[in-house]
Amino acid sequence: MKVMVQGTQEVNTSPDQVHALVQATLQEDLLFDLSKSIHMLPFEARKDTQTIFSHILRFRPVSYSNDKDPPVISWLVHNRPEVIVELCRGYMQSQSAMPCGVILREALKSDVVTAIVLYDQSREGEPAIRLSEVVPNHPQSGDGVFWQFFDWIDKSNFEVSADAFTTFREIVTRHKSLVTSYLATNFDLFFGRFNDILVHSDSYVTKRQSIKLLGEILLDRANYNVMMAYVESGDNLKLCMKLLRDDRKMVQYEGFHVFKVFVANPTKSVPVQRILINNRDRLLRFLPKFLEDRTDDDQFTDEKSFLVRQIELLPKEPVDRTRPARDSPAANTTAVA
Amino acid sequence: MADDMSSHYQVMEELGSGSFGVVYKAIDKTDGEIVAIKHIDLESSEDDIQEIQQEISVLATCASAYVTQYKASFLKGHKLWIVMEYLGGGSCLDLLKPGCFNEAHVAIVCRELLQGLDYLHNEGKIHRDVKAANVLLSQSGKVKLADFGVAAQLVNIKSQRNTFVGTPFWMAPEVIQQAGYDFKADIWSLGITAIEMINGEPPHASTHPMKVLFLIPKNPAPRLEGNDYSNTFKDFIAQCLTKDPDMRPSAKELLRHKFIRNAGKVEALQELIHRKQDFDGNRSEPKDPRYYAESLHPMSRPDEEDEDDWVFDTVKAPPMWKPKGGTDWMTFDEEDENLPDSAQMMQDLHITQPPPPPKHQANSTVRRAPTDRSPSIRRANTKRRSSGVKQPLGLDLSYGNSPSTVRQFRRVSDKVQEPTPMKQGYDENASPKAMSTDSSSKEAQIGRRAYSKAVGLSCQEVLSTTGDGDKREAISRLAEAFSDLEMVDPEGLYHIVRIMNEKLQTDSRLSTLLPSTQPDSPSRPRLVLAQNNPHLKSHRRRQSYVPEPTPQSPPSNNPPAPGMEHTKQLTDVLYSRWSEGLRNRWGGI
Repeated sequence: MKVMVQGTQEVNTSPDQVHALVQATLQEDLLFDLSKSIHMLPFEARKDTQTIFSHILRFRPVSYSNDKDPPVISWLVHNRPEVIVELCRGYMQSQSAMPCGVILREALKSDVVTAIVLYDQSREGEPAIRLSEVVPNHPQSGDGVFWQFFDWIDKSNFEVSADAFTTFREIVTRHKSLVTSYLATNFDLFFGRFNDILVHSDSYVTKRQSIKLLGEILLDRANYNVMMAYVESGDNLKLCMKLLRDDRKMVQYEGFHVFKVFVANPTKSVPVQRILINNRDRLLRFLPKFLEDRTDDDQFTDEKSFLVRQIELLPKEPVDRTRPARDSPAANTTAVA
Repeated sequence: MADDMSSHYQVMEELGSGSFGVVYKAIDKTDGEIVAIKHIDLESSEDDIQEIQQEISVLATCASAYVTQYKASFLKGHKLWIVMEYLGGGSCLDLLKPGCFNEAHVAIVCRELLQGLDYLHNEGKIHRDVKAANVLLSQSGKVKLADFGVAAQLVNIKSQRNTFVGTPFWMAPEVIQQAGYDFKADIWSLGITAIEMINGEPPHASTHPMKVLFLIPKNPAPRLEGNDYSNTFKDFIAQCLTKDPDMRPSAKELLRHKFIRNAGKVEALQELIHRKQDFDGNRSEPKDPRYYAESLHPMSRPDEEDEDDWVFDTVKAPPMWKPKGGTDWMTFDEEDENLPDSAQMMQDLHITQPPPPPKHQANSTVRRAPTDRSPSIRRANTKRRSSGVKQPLGLDLSYGNSPSTVRQFRRVSDKVQEPTPMKQGYDENASPKAMSTDSSSKEAQIGRRAYSKAVGLSCQEVLSTTGDGDKREAISRLAEAFSDLEMVDPEGLYHIVRIMNEKLQTDSRLSTLLPSTQPDSPSRPRLVLAQNNPHLKSHRRRQSYVPEPTPQSPPSNNPPAPGMEHTKQLTDVLYSRWSEGLRNRWGGI
């Protein structure tokens, strides 16, 4: 089978043969069985399964247009979404985590698969959500398969955790429009868990990676509204300022890239302003010395001095300027004067 | 969770330092197996942690007798530990130091490498950095590919890569031209490696690496010329170094080459290993084993900053936050309670023993081994900023810190610069680390403990108070013998100590001579790494020695485990009785 789908260095594949194989696989529901039992296979067989599975997912008949999802993907999301959910659950066993992760990331290249993962709320043994049943912007209970990723990242051993995180990042960054509305709908749930479980993780890697991912999510243009909502919260700012004082300098550094969003925001909420104003002197003492040895990082140095200026320009008292959405930092100068 | 994993391993001396990590020899306490553990300090790696994950995932999916076996990886604080099979023979580059290989040896290594490459290529993996430094040998002569720092996993077996990685001298022309390459690139590198093994260096070795990048595509492919080489070998090289990758044979095809088919058994390579050992043995310079020392983060903060902590509406009282050298800031420190002591010790030690000028620069991030002519180039694909040219992991696994190598290497630790006093020589038998082992049997456990806490220490103590040269040598030989015994048979050690103790007790004259020992004698505090001292081992070394010149003990191939600073109840009892016993028996005093 493996030779059939991928050929060897010497032998090319025959499209007809692959087509027939794919048909048969779907007919026998082999993908579901494989995804459910991959952890029981021996080492080499797991790798073979991963290869065959990925190739089948990627398979396109010769005439198939390139902008459409591969046929097996379409078939799965409409008829057998349980396969995708089972692949996610591969993270529950360390044997299956890596191969399932690879297959899953292959599948997640299609937004329809991402939709299934985001919106599925089935329990084990229950039928999973089909693509036609997905209701965008439907608030989630937080028990669906997507939300289990938080636990998998937090509770697994390093290898599984890191792989789960890679997949998680893929889910929340690849298909922007899908994720933006999802985040907007489930804002509190998502960032609540993100802050509590990932940013507060005991694992250095999870912590550092998730702060970085947080920065990426917030600074993504598509997520503008999400960012604005995030930087309104005083609690989020506190979390972030604590990161600046973490004892590991790369955590500080990643934290800085989130912190800057709060300060750079021209329409800071009252709680955020209050915290910044209360800590103005401290920040002005702290920031110039912050990660001083990073001398060859111009962008960082520039941003740092920008933040210092912004903080100097803060008004004495918080000003409620939530109504006019567009306000330049110049307004701050007036307020100080 | 993952932090417990590290306690499964007893970390011993340093084997070498790679591009972003230090490699230690260690014992897996669960089964006694010797492993190599690479410690990667993630704090000092700017790069995406995902790259390291990539290396791990490539390694983890390899199971071949021709590839270094990956065992596990886990986090300890901000260090990533990667546990791998231990290969005692060293790298081919190390083995080249005494001189070039002969054709028979090259043929064996090439055959084994081709097996490894054939495996990788069938798995859809390209190694991309094949060279002598990345070929490791086991003690028995087995050849294994190592260092997957820049290896690629192809999703599709037919697909190609464009990434510009590898080490210039060994890079295939198509890699340099970035015109897309595949598995065949490894074959070219293998050919260059074969030349490296027979000649001691790759072609163009004297040229600047950047210039080599122009030469390789432009010049005709290197060939072996002259009567010094056999025709089959010349042909093998010519096959590997075919400039057109499509014409270049695959690993499988090359395995059928006459040069390879006629190659001998891997056991023949043991000659090379022995040659290297003799070579090292003849060097007069003292060995300088570096032991693993848990480096902790300096987390004490300047005082002025204390009052500077953020004020949030909810957290009103900064005092709660204030780190007063207290435990709040030392979550990584396992043994923080003794901080002041160690600081004090540091001070004392500085007075009694000013450290010699540092041989190694503590904070250097660039490690340059003399043999390392060429940093491997890796595409700098960091998001915010590239930390410069990165070398692949474990580039230079020079074993045992061979004396000829004066390296600048990156310390495990990161913050404070503190000169590393390199006490030459006599730590061979010193400082076996207190092992909290829980391996095989209880006897073995106690044996190890007795060694680390009593026997070894007492040898040292006696040694340090002995002046006469001959006597000293005898004692140090004894100490070494004990160390060996402890390595090989801790149970036996335990029984010796136990019976010796019993005999001393039962003999009425002896037992009266023994001073009574209170069970709770003021034990020396458990040594803690000072917050500002990343070099625990030198610290330990100095601590466990009375500042008095001691001679060098004969070099041992089998240095004991590091660190023996903890003395506690049982230990004290055993130790004092033991040393008394020694004195009685040999009439010293």
